[in-house]
Amino acid sequence: MRDVLLVAIREIRQITATKGFWIMLMALPVAIAVSGFASSAFAPEDSTAYTVVDETGTIGEGITERLALRDRQQELRDLAEYAERYDLQAIDPQAPWADRQAWLSEAEVRRFAEAGGAEAAVERIAPDLPAGVPPFELEDPSYVAVPLPDGVALTAANGEMGSALQAAFENDIAVDGRTLPYGAVLYIPQNFGEPGAAARVYTNGRSNQTLIQAFRDGLDGALRDRMFAAQGIAPATAQAIEGMAAPLAVIDPPPGSGRTEVMTRSLVPLALVYLLLITAVTTGSMMLQGVVEERSNKLFESVLACIRPDALMQGKLLGLGAVGIVIVLVWAGTGLAGAMYFEGFAAEVVKPSLAALDDPLLIAAMIFYFFAGYIVLAMLFLAIGAVSESMQDAQSYLTPAILLVMIPVMILMQAAIGSPNSPVVQVLSWVPLYTPFAMLARLATGVATWEILGTIALMVAFIWIELKLLGRIFRASLLNDGKPTLKRIASWVRSPGRQS
Amino acid sequence: MPASALAFEAVTKQFGTLTAVDDLSFAVPEGSVFGFLGGNGAGKTTSLRMALDILTPTAGRIDVLGQPPSRENAAAIGFLPEERGLYKKMSVLDTIVYFGRLKRMEAGAAKASAMALLERLGLADRAKAPIEKLSKGMAQKVQVATALVNSPGLLMLDEPFSGLDPVNQAMLEDLIADAAKGGATVIFSTHVMQHAERLCDRLLLLARGTKRFEGTLDEARGALPFRLVLAARGDPAGLPGVMKATRTGGDGDWGEYAVEMADGAAPEGLLAHCTANGVALNRFDVHRPSLHEAFIHFVGSDPATPAGEAAR
Repeated sequence: MRDVLLVAIREIRQITATKGFWIMLMALPVAIAVSGFASSAFAPEDSTAYTVVDETGTIGEGITERLALRDRQQELRDLAEYAERYDLQAIDPQAPWADRQAWLSEAEVRRFAEAGGAEAAVERIAPDLPAGVPPFELEDPSYVAVPLPDGVALTAANGEMGSALQAAFENDIAVDGRTLPYGAVLYIPQNFGEPGAAARVYTNGRSNQTLIQAFRDGLDGALRDRMFAAQGIAPATAQAIEGMAAPLAVIDPPPGSGRTEVMTRSLVPLALVYLLLITAVTTGSMMLQGVVEERSNKLFESVLACIRPDALMQGKLLGLGAVGIVIVLVWAGTGLAGAMYFEGFAAEVVKPSLAALDDPLLIAAMIFYFFAGYIVLAMLFLAIGAVSESMQDAQSYLTPAILLVMIPVMILMQAAIGSPNSPVVQVLSWVPLYTPFAMLARLATGVATWEILGTIALMVAFIWIELKLLGRIFRASLLNDGKPTLKRIASWVRSPGRQS
Repeated sequence: MPASALAFEAVTKQFGTLTAVDDLSFAVPEGSVFGFLGGNGAGKTTSLRMALDILTPTAGRIDVLGQPPSRENAAAIGFLPEERGLYKKMSVLDTIVYFGRLKRMEAGAAKASAMALLERLGLADRAKAPIEKLSKGMAQKVQVATALVNSPGLLMLDEPFSGLDPVNQAMLEDLIADAAKGGATVIFSTHVMQHAERLCDRLLLLARGTKRFEGTLDEARGALPFRLVLAARGDPAGLPGVMKATRTGGDGDWGEYAVEMADGAAPEGLLAHCTANGVALNRFDVHRPSLHEAFIHFVGSDPATPAGEAAR
């Protein structure tokens, strides 16, 4: 054991002395920091600016109001879901946001808007907000009405998009200290509604479906109103007809269930699968390089004069394992810290995912699969190192080996999220090379205990056999000067004593 | 006869169909400097590897320091393999300490011993340098230090002089001689006879895995007849101990003769006889065979040329 530790410590020192190790170690934290910063600093604005030029003086206001109401409707829907998730309805049972169906009713949305919208609701909730419940995050409005930019003139006669307007579309527009994309301009001529007098929508060319639909609805409504008036229908009746809505109830799953919930619950295990794959492949390559170096300059002979080949091999595995753990801990730690820092994500995804892993067996199994997977892959790399004469030689084994691991694992992860009990996942769960990946991916979606125990037993047996075989290859190949051919490798595996 | 530091008894090692070491028996007395002589492929490296338990003999028995070969002996053994290599990125000091630690030394003792060796090797100022920054000769010296760091009782050196310049060869000879003076048993393999001639108490001559000779340097040379050349006034054929005398040159009365002596007859006796009986001589050259000649005699080929297939 002393020898194993000595070798392990030397391996650790060698790996940590390389620049590559530190680059890799810092890669994820830096990536998190950069993406976190980028997403807050360079996030695309959620809001779009628009202008309504209404020469009739009667229609434009309705359209602006309608667009504002749509934002309120979305707000109400989000707020109601938030209230239900954290059981906040009791704070004000009469409020529109205490009812998850309220957003479907225009009357309720109007009541919500008149009461001050989400800002007022958040203020109302704040004093009674239970500890540990994150505050509701206010979204920016989707559409912001702005005056026509300077220098842009629209006339009934000229339908062309002038260069000034085109420039305004391309350059975005400054509103209250923010720079918003300028989505569309609606021009309603004074004689709108008369034959040949069409309203015009100028757009920046990007898809502004909702905005144009809102313009359309407003214009349609205006035309209908005129028609109703022309037909002598009382404005009240007309309004009643327009306000008619088919009774409709939308049944959403309670917040935190369904397909997204499978994703959420599996987040931590799936993240482990990725971590496992990345760390095993990268640290494995480092170790492979070390083995090839020792082999190609015959260092092994000096070392093997002092310690047994098994101790050398185990020391390498242990050292590499320790490096891997450090990388995983740093990555997982910064990942978690990053998730907590970007609070919304932590609350929505990370905490429920961690909460889903409340069973000690699950946690133990998760840790077991992770390390078993790591060892299995590390041994694969060691074996490649032991039979390679040079790095070039190793590369030719390495590429197929990595593909052999990567491709099924990628397929597996897709399948495990979509249909955790599909045959491909079931079968791969019992193929030792893929067992850790398959089981990790499935773990949070509910796996029978017998299957967990069975695959653990399988892994233990497989690792034991792999250790034995690797020991033989190691012993036979290290001092063998001949090029290891497949035939030779096979003979080493069969009988460790003979060398050819 | 003192106890053996290393003993082979009828040891055979086969690699597939190739017999690298064939029924080899020899003993290395404790405290001696023992030379393993043979050309490439004679079985020197294989024998050393078996003594180190890196390879297992196919048949026979090996005793190392009174035990079968095992890593248990590592603390008492220093080994320098034929093919040199060190961890390129490791510092000189770390490398030597690492091997000291692998040989069961405590970290502090290993470090002290490593520094003392580096002083001795003139490398103390490079202790912190990574191996890859050293010249080849320096790296070789570091490797020698890794073998010596544990002050081994049994030192096994596989072709220690190869790749060293004459200055460093002399330094290594000194190190070996010092180790021997300190009581260590030194075994080294070589195909350069001069080193063996200068250093060895006892020799083992190998060819194609079999033993051709084991004994002292004098015994090796004694197995070959020495050459005696003398210039005398008369034919020396009748003199005592002379088996045959062939005139090879000279002029007039003075003839030059190549003389073959009878078994057991010493040239000193002949010289004494001539002096006592007034036999006129003006030349009396005894040419003792070199180890090189003895080697060719026993092995049948020059040590520098391969005497068989490479056996590892």
